[in-house]
Amino acid sequence: MNQRRFFFIIALVAAIIIGVIGIISMPVQQQQIAGWLVSITMQMATPLVLAGIGGMYSERGGVVNIGLEGIMLMGAFTGAAVTYYFDNPWLGILGSVAAGGLLAAVHGVICVKYKGNHIVSGTGVILFGTGFTTLMLEVVWHQKGRGELITNTIPDIIIPQIQSHPFFGPAFSVISPVVVFMFVLTAISWYILYRTPFGLRLRASGEDPSTLDSAGVSVEWIRVVGVIISGCLAGLGGAYLSIGFGSAFAKEMTAGRGFIALAAMIFGNWTPTGILGAGLFFGFLDGLNYFIQIYFPALLPFSNYIAMLPFLLVVVALGLIRKSVPPKAIAKPYEKEKRA
Amino acid sequence: MNEAKDTPGQVNDSPATSEYQSKIGKFINALIARITSKEFRNQFYWSFGSILLALVVAAVIMLMGGYDPGTAILYLAVGALSQMDQVFWYASPLILTGLSVALAFRCGLFNIGAEGQLYMGAMAAALVAYLFSLPILLHPLLSLLAGVLVGGFWAFVPGLLKAYRGAHEVVTTMMLSYVAILFTSWLVGPNGPYWDGSMVPQTPEFYDSAILPNIFGNYLHFGFIVAILAVFGVDYLINRTVLGYEMRAVGHNIDAAEYAGIDSKKKVAIALGISGGLSGLAGSTEMLGTYHRFIGNWSPGLGWDGITVAVLGNNSPWGVLAGAIFFGALKAGGNTMHAIAHVPIEMVKVIQGLIVLFIAAPRIIQWLINHGNANKEEIVKKPVKAMPNLLGAFFGLASVFLALGIARSIFTMATVSPWTLISALSLFLVAVASVLVFITQYSRDPRCSPLLLLIAVGWSTAAITFLVGSGGLELTSIIMAVIAFVFWIVMYMLGKNTLRDGEGP
Repeated sequence: MNQRRFFFIIALVAAIIIGVIGIISMPVQQQQIAGWLVSITMQMATPLVLAGIGGMYSERGGVVNIGLEGIMLMGAFTGAAVTYYFDNPWLGILGSVAAGGLLAAVHGVICVKYKGNHIVSGTGVILFGTGFTTLMLEVVWHQKGRGELITNTIPDIIIPQIQSHPFFGPAFSVISPVVVFMFVLTAISWYILYRTPFGLRLRASGEDPSTLDSAGVSVEWIRVVGVIISGCLAGLGGAYLSIGFGSAFAKEMTAGRGFIALAAMIFGNWTPTGILGAGLFFGFLDGLNYFIQIYFPALLPFSNYIAMLPFLLVVVALGLIRKSVPPKAIAKPYEKEKRA
Repeated sequence: MNEAKDTPGQVNDSPATSEYQSKIGKFINALIARITSKEFRNQFYWSFGSILLALVVAAVIMLMGGYDPGTAILYLAVGALSQMDQVFWYASPLILTGLSVALAFRCGLFNIGAEGQLYMGAMAAALVAYLFSLPILLHPLLSLLAGVLVGGFWAFVPGLLKAYRGAHEVVTTMMLSYVAILFTSWLVGPNGPYWDGSMVPQTPEFYDSAILPNIFGNYLHFGFIVAILAVFGVDYLINRTVLGYEMRAVGHNIDAAEYAGIDSKKKVAIALGISGGLSGLAGSTEMLGTYHRFIGNWSPGLGWDGITVAVLGNNSPWGVLAGAIFFGALKAGGNTMHAIAHVPIEMVKVIQGLIVLFIAAPRIIQWLINHGNANKEEIVKKPVKAMPNLLGAFFGLASVFLALGIARSIFTMATVSPWTLISALSLFLVAVASVLVFITQYSRDPRCSPLLLLIAVGWSTAAITFLVGSGGLELTSIIMAVIAFVFWIVMYMLGKNTLRDGEGP
């Protein structure tokens, strides 16, 4: 297993190096297009990967969180509203993380403490999130459908040294800190999940809660913490949509990204690296829509089919290619002292 | 029965009639037994309690949004009661999608993609309704049939995947529902084959022969009758047929069902297929009765509402009917609420989400009921001790509303100074503490007295800031602070007495 993983990593690194060399050896204009595509892929992938890794924390702990869509909306709205009032995007991020965590905490308490049905509760979170944010949109901006433009969005990191390069310039010279955080988060999550006591406990509470309980750790607490982390990350992903990539909050602006994040999580087999890969791929498909709008207008009539691809791919992958293996005790409330 | 009969025949007749009567009696008795049974009562309390709690939380949200919750809820009720045809009109697709989700639930499946099946069914019905010219009566029937079949197919595929490949139906149906929405909006869009050439992505209008006529009023069409028939049909299917029994068995315990010789895989696929058919029917009736053409992205979340309706009705067909009519009333009343109290229509969605959240956790309502009963006993036994407790609980509740209302009104004032910010912050703290006070007082927890002191301090801080800054609400704050202080003293004394009597926790 380890040897396979080692070869896999080597192959991946080799593929990336060959790809980059291949791109650099292309004509300048194509290099620019490729760089732009890389950039848009990373931007579109960021909310998906953040929410997907969030969902992983929740589901690895044994709580299904289909409410990601609602939580992302909540984060997007709060981020925009706080930035609008205080004119500081970092406070906005803080607010969105807190709001997402709060809504997820409600879901977590209902699922874990009151042993509610995870999917019913998650549906409630989605409904509440969409309704509440659209309602508050009118309260805050006195407008329907779309809030006012926010001028002070999350500032980009600018690397002037590579700005003039035809490929690296468009790809990496202007990059949002949230995009960087996506990569950092993947590494941190891998470390937390597989190298820390908390990660071990989280995985245990999702796989075999009674063992964790007999080791003297509170299953309920671990699970609730997992759900709250998922809410914070999904809230951040939402905030990136409203004050990072975009610059206003719009009604139902996540447009199903919460579900695509869920798909990325399943596609990535509930592992951080897998989710990063799946999220980048889905982000690439999302970015492809912008790409063909500019470079291949002939394909534009079929943009709906490109938008469909992530959803279809998940169905095909789950149904025909391999069985997905979710954590064993998922969606099962843990009752102390109860025999299975 | 033969008319010409002699005495023995008549004698024979009377037991038959009495048996007939006893059959009615039996039915009524069974109904009464069912209504008075513990499960039904509990379910009723849970559903009703969830609605009430959701309205309370919604009132808090309205307060914070600067709306008047009293007027809003009043006009919600008035609007619902005065427009019964709209209520039933809104309810009819919800009945069908609710039945769809409920039926799958009975087989242990969660059909979260009712929305997609609705779209596919509606598309198929729309195509039959405007591409073919058929005789009246036959046309709507064929159109509905097409909707049922295509909607059913859209759920049958995930059913097969679930049964034979183990792909979780929550994921597959959800993903397929997005596929359906994108696919249908392409079909009727400028690049698709069924576009009518206008600015909007939509099909041309249907033939008149396909349209479901109105029953009465401006809205209510024959889709409602279809929905009611579907309730009877699903009730019969689930409770009176072998297939329904087997589906319920699979839903209860899949291993036991397998052991009893039921082909659970087949049942799973069939159940999801029927469920999808019902969603498709919902979409088709909406097409033929309300919209008269397929418009891209037309559904206002009817599939999601179906989930709400199903969980509110505890997945029984008649419960779904009641739940759907309730949501129809909510939507019809929501329009009136929007028109008169100027609360955005999205409030209805918020209420809906809250109801689902509360229903997901029946233990919250159970906690309230259990402690309510205990409080009742306590009041009868030791009124002196229990009364302050209960009053304190209600004080906590009132304090939440007052604090949030005043905090909100501070923000709408013209001048915002540091003083008003401090008072708003302390009022928010008071609101949080008040919620905790309600919880502790209601469950007769002795730990509430410090919280009451905190509330008293919070209200007095607010009063002081009002006095220093420009206020006008200081009187309310002072009164609340005094009441909280009195409660704190009372609770403190009571706690001391309890400790002295040696009956403390």
